[in-house]
Amino acid sequence: MFSARYGLLAAGLGALAMWGGACQNTEPRLDTKPATVLVSAAISLADVFGAVADVYERESGTRVLLNLAGSNLLVNQLIAGAPIDVIISADVRQMDRVEAAGRIRGGGRMNLLSNQLVVVVPVDRVGTVTTVDDLASPEVGRIALGDPDAVPAGVYARDYLESIGLWSVLRDKVVPTRNVRAALAAVEAGTVAAGFVYRTDAAMATNVVRAFEVPIDTGPFIVYPAAVVSAAPNATEAIRLFEFLRGSEARRLFEEAGFIALQPAVSETSGLFTTSSK
Amino acid sequence: MELHQRIEARTVALYGPSGAGKTTTLDAIAGLRRPASGEIRIGTHVLFASDVGVDLPVHTRRVGYVPQDVALFPHLNVRRNIMYGTGRRDETSSTTVLELLEIGGLLSRRINGLSGGERQRVALARALLSDPELLLLDEPMAALDLGLRDRILPYLERVRDEIGTRMIYVSHIKGEVRRIADWVVVLDGGRVVRSGPPNNVLPGT
Amino acid sequence: MMESELVRVTAFTLMMAAIATLVMLPPGVALAWLLARRRFLGRDILETLVSLPLVIPPVATGLILLKVLGRRGPLGSLLEHTGVDIVFTWKAVVLAMAVMGLPLLVRSARAGFERVDPRYEQIAATLGAGPWRVFLTISLPLAGRGLLAGVLLGFSRALGEFGATIMIAGALPGTRTLSVAIYRNAEIGQDAAAMTLLAAAVTIGFAAVSLSNRLGAST
Repeated sequence: MFSARYGLLAAGLGALAMWGGACQNTEPRLDTKPATVLVSAAISLADVFGAVADVYERESGTRVLLNLAGSNLLVNQLIAGAPIDVIISADVRQMDRVEAAGRIRGGGRMNLLSNQLVVVVPVDRVGTVTTVDDLASPEVGRIALGDPDAVPAGVYARDYLESIGLWSVLRDKVVPTRNVRAALAAVEAGTVAAGFVYRTDAAMATNVVRAFEVPIDTGPFIVYPAAVVSAAPNATEAIRLFEFLRGSEARRLFEEAGFIALQPAVSETSGLFTTSSK
Repeated sequence: MELHQRIEARTVALYGPSGAGKTTTLDAIAGLRRPASGEIRIGTHVLFASDVGVDLPVHTRRVGYVPQDVALFPHLNVRRNIMYGTGRRDETSSTTVLELLEIGGLLSRRINGLSGGERQRVALARALLSDPELLLLDEPMAALDLGLRDRILPYLERVRDEIGTRMIYVSHIKGEVRRIADWVVVLDGGRVVRSGPPNNVLPGT
Repeated sequence: MMESELVRVTAFTLMMAAIATLVMLPPGVALAWLLARRRFLGRDILETLVSLPLVIPPVATGLILLKVLGRRGPLGSLLEHTGVDIVFTWKAVVLAMAVMGLPLLVRSARAGFERVDPRYEQIAATLGAGPWRVFLTISLPLAGRGLLAGVLLGFSRALGEFGATIMIAGALPGTRTLSVAIYRNAEIGQDAAAMTLLAAAVTIGFAAVSLSNRLGAST
């Protein structure tokens, strides 16, 4: 049932992978073509992962191909058969879907990062919102957030608003967007009065101002799980990248961007795959 | 083409071979074509005067036109066609015309069922009922066979005599011109060759 | 639960498409007539502008509309002053549908007008009919079939419109058309719902096409 819908996209990605493979086959000397690894990453990782990928490429010589979208779409693609090697989603629920479909390589799942939700307003509306209750004010119009039925950022936002009893009041104002960056774009363009995004997104944006932060202790616990996909086309590369992501170099880049690293800092790579522990 | 004429007559014929400029002249008088320069006047009613910038729009000229291809409106029936130009006018004038042209029985018919002769008469009625100052007829007999022509011509004579509308009649058939017109303008190659009463101007008897 | 969404979304889509068709009629017919009958400076540019939504991706059209109507856009800031809300409301749905359907209406209607022999319009004028009367009593009725085909095309396009709609109307509960609802349900993994809505869309499309064929065949 999924494949009809995502057939075209999967075919596209498949064609890309096959083309890469075909190039490999026609090359006479193996050492002249670069290895590749295809990563599906939640869209809020767009900028930081670009930096991480650059460093990894320089050090390992492996090309990182980045596929960015809302986590729900990434998982749909993967389950439909897209040739992904590593997937990083923005919430546990989406990763559980991958696991339930049996697509995670044995032992290859970890909680990589955490983040924090913030509310942003357009720069010319600074001061209109200072606390979460201000969102309910009639002066505040529409509020953008990722589709609360599926996009992690939207689910987190709704969970938070439900926990403080404001969801029923605000739901009529909600503009559901495809992913968290679309919500950010709506606030930047000024077409909505406010939006829920990650603090890492807000840090990169122009034209928006942080109105308030959703407290980490009382707000939803945001988790970015990462996993190596079972039967990945570039399994060796996938595992290498996976280990790199929990290493100190990657960790530094993530933290600089405002993410919270969840994996313990290890000076030696005692990889998830090399130890016999579960 | 160039045309300078000052005519005082009731029925004028434009006579000449095809391509002489007869239809062009009619179009200019009706306002469907604009002359490069000059003046067009009916009595004291100026229709066009290039030196003072007068160019009356077509619908204000009160010139009735029966074109060569008749051009009855295909989506309207006979009654609607002939009543198209009447506006709110009294019924009496239409009765006269209908009787004169003997088309009273055709009123509810559709256009595409009419014969050639019937079409001509309907088109004539339509033009007449718009109460024009001048009636322009472009080769009204051209599409009709000889027998039919003989039968239609009397209708035109009736219009000329009993209704009295001024007419400009385009034809390349001498016999018709002689019967209908009191003045003939002979055109050839876009120019006036001769102009005068039919007997003076037409070749032959 | 699903049935009420199906009915609601279908009814909403049909109603919006109908309104959009009404909205695109006056400018569409006027443009068609102008392009068919008049020569004027900038005519080629106008022609191109009208055809633009046909050749650029619908989302691009949607983006242009968003920029113009958004709070900071030229029209948007004006609308904000007068308190008129368009983006993310049903009005945006109508607008997107109308903008995307207009080029099709204009094309068909224009062909219809071009097929009307100018002779009829000229003779009508000699009979004393002013330009408006000529248009209403001669040009319009004689262009009838082309016009009707154009209206149907415009309506069908409006029904299926997606790209521009999602840009300026979003996927809010109150602005979801059939195509947007299918897309959204597919995106969030609600496959059964997506398929049901799909079936409805296909049925409507089928009906529209056969109606259009029936009308075209009666020439």
